[in-house]
Amino acid sequence: MRFLVCLKQVPDSTVRVKVGGDGRSIATDGVTWSISPYDEYAIELALERKDADPSTVVSVVAVGPARSRDALRQALAMGCDDATLVTAPEDLGGLDVAKALAAVVKEMKPDVVLCGKQASDDDLGLVGPALAEALGWPHVGMLTKAGVSTAADGLELWREVEGGHEVWKATPPIVGLVHKSEKEPRYPSLPGIMKAKKKEIPEKSLSALGITGASPRLEIIAMEPPPQRGGGKIWRLDGDAQGVAEQVAKALHEEAKVI
Amino acid sequence: MKILVIAETKDNALRRVSVEIAAKAASFGEVVVAAVKGQRYSPIAHATAVAEKAKAEGADLVLVGATLNGRDLAARTAAKLGWAYAGDCTDLTVNDRTAEAQRPMYAGKVRATVKVPLPAVISVRPGAWTLPAGAAAPSVSEIEPAAEDARLRFDRFEATASGGKRVSLAEARAVVSAGRGLKGPENWKLVEELADALGAATGASRAVTDAGWRPNEEQVGQTGKTVTPDLYVALGISGAIQHLAGMTSSKVIVAVNKDPDADIFKIADYGVVGDLFEFVPAFTEAVKKVKGSG
Repeated sequence: MRFLVCLKQVPDSTVRVKVGGDGRSIATDGVTWSISPYDEYAIELALERKDADPSTVVSVVAVGPARSRDALRQALAMGCDDATLVTAPEDLGGLDVAKALAAVVKEMKPDVVLCGKQASDDDLGLVGPALAEALGWPHVGMLTKAGVSTAADGLELWREVEGGHEVWKATPPIVGLVHKSEKEPRYPSLPGIMKAKKKEIPEKSLSALGITGASPRLEIIAMEPPPQRGGGKIWRLDGDAQGVAEQVAKALHEEAKVI
Repeated sequence: MKILVIAETKDNALRRVSVEIAAKAASFGEVVVAAVKGQRYSPIAHATAVAEKAKAEGADLVLVGATLNGRDLAARTAAKLGWAYAGDCTDLTVNDRTAEAQRPMYAGKVRATVKVPLPAVISVRPGAWTLPAGAAAPSVSEIEPAAEDARLRFDRFEATASGGKRVSLAEARAVVSAGRGLKGPENWKLVEELADALGAATGASRAVTDAGWRPNEEQVGQTGKTVTPDLYVALGISGAIQHLAGMTSSKVIVAVNKDPDADIFKIADYGVVGDLFEFVPAFTEAVKKVKGSG
């Protein structure tokens, strides 16, 4: 079975995000770039299939600026087989990213396409469903597990919903939008890193894929940090749990009016 | 301006977020509220039906609650229609040909204002719009789902142990969350008792879900759920930046932690430095007393 994992390179989730001088983008100087966490889970899910069946091929693709190459290299080091970069401006709209990915899917013909459920920078969650729509394929969101069904009829896909999981049976091709993998994404091994260094990462242009970038999209007009919090009231227990508890409950009731 | 609000039901009742959106949408223009028939969400069947309804109504704007399924539906519907999509918005103003939406980015570390060309599909975060007192539930027309895609078939539902007994985490007006400070899953009843007293949903830090004390669906924070309740109570949670990202927009935050330097205190409105095993049972009783006295 062939997997294609779509990934995006984003500021690492552990870095503090600062609004840039223009007031409508983030300051990128000194930012560490990583694979978006949900995409990392998607890679892990695909590689687990490869662990179970070594004939599985796992490809990765990114649509983004040239630095995305580092994220693709990281995915190769984790154990993915090949990588493709579609060079695109950072602010290409989600519908156009999906169309570019759809063009790549049509060339590569994977059985399963996995995307993170959303990128951790814009948190939009548009590209995955829009890719499935562009391909005319079904998709499953909130994916947490992809196993091979015992009934030999394709894949068993687990999606997290309120109160549990829905289990769906899928006959490929299918798009899965990954929420989480059961295991944490693996670290690249040293041999993996050495192998990844030698691999070519072919590059495609948007125009070669027939993407004009004209689909309707959002335009960011302002960005600001969330309002500062703090300056809260602090109690120390000092052996009087009941007294403090009553004061906190009273404050929530009379001052904050939330209980 | 014509607005189609797609309502979502849970246990045969309208979800609160759908009522919130329908009430607010009336200030933007003419509103039609519709829900797709049937209990189980299926992307192609639902998105196709909603897109057809949007076209039939001549809608300029489709609004959907940003629940798990709502966000999925809204994105696929936008793609189907070839319309702009803004997800998980916290506020919205609508002009003639464009809308301006507020939405968190970078897991809530940034608030963005975005210009959305119309027509558009927009999903709105639960609790973003306060329900006016005495707001009536809207009348909802039903839409038939379109045909399912045979390549994807529902097989079964696997309930987690906690199995949906409580209010849904994303929509709850109060949330009690616990972290590593709880020491072990055997102490979870402390969290539940307080949550019961408050009428709250329960959540957990990533440390707790990773350790398997609680199901993943209860994880609050980046790579988990983002919550914006009126009251968030953090028990034994130190406040890693990824956790803060998921709850920092809560209206009132109460933190209980042994470590006075824990980052959670930097964003708390009310902080208690001390042993949660001493404080929580007393607090549960105090809450019951206050609520009982009205």
